[in-house]
Amino acid sequence: MLQKKLTIKILVFLIFSDILETFTQFCFKKSAFSEAAYLPDFFRSAFSSPYLWIGLFSVLLTFIIWSTILSKIDLSVAVPVASFSYILVPLVSIILLHEKITILRWSGIIFIIFGIIFVSLSSKEGEADS
Amino acid sequence: MKSGLIFILSLIVLTSICDTINQLFLKSAINSLDISLSANIIKIFKFILRLILIPRVWLGFLFSVLSLCIWLFVLSRADLNFAFSADSMHYIFIAFASRIFLKEKIGPKRWFGTLLIVVGIILVSVS
Repeated sequence: MLQKKLTIKILVFLIFSDILETFTQFCFKKSAFSEAAYLPDFFRSAFSSPYLWIGLFSVLLTFIIWSTILSKIDLSVAVPVASFSYILVPLVSIILLHEKITILRWSGIIFIIFGIIFVSLSSKEGEADS
Repeated sequence: MKSGLIFILSLIVLTSICDTINQLFLKSAINSLDISLSANIIKIFKFILRLILIPRVWLGFLFSVLSLCIWLFVLSRADLNFAFSADSMHYIFIAFASRIFLKEKIGPKRWFGTLLIVVGIILVSVS
């Protein structure tokens, strides 16, 4: 029923949702700067940060875009492209948050991406069975 | 350092479980509507409107708020790249929860993918 072929238009939507997801995580990280151990203090500072609300708006936008994408294309095609955010988030972490990533951690990230691809591929088997 | 890592990983497990519960409620609510999405934006909004009238969706929403709170706390104590990579464990939880609660099947590819994610998370955690 759903098509398997990735068109340019859907690819653009998918990459846009990857960028949005990365932007969301960046905003959340920026909002959670408080070191407060006392939780009410911590959440007061996080929820009063504009970054958090921009991040939440971005979550809503991502949800709408994903609903549109998944109405057009099979999940097993969409998820591998979406897992591109597992590269994008570390890149943004390095460039904008000055985090450090070792070669060992990059290799772990590669494992995770292939893992996600395999987990999503098998959704076809589930459909064939039902 | 070591105990700190285990504490953060446990919190990530917790937020992934909350996410999984939210997804299960959402999926079972969508299944109960028995309607296929079309690309039409107006139809999508109508669908979402029908969806948010189901109590289960709100229960799921509560869990996603809880998940967000834990996630914010994790991000305040850990690097984003580490937390985001480790959070990929929710793919595993969703796969297993779908098998138990929604009677979906886990094929050999999904087992293999799960194994790769576990290895990946271990590599990300030790470095």
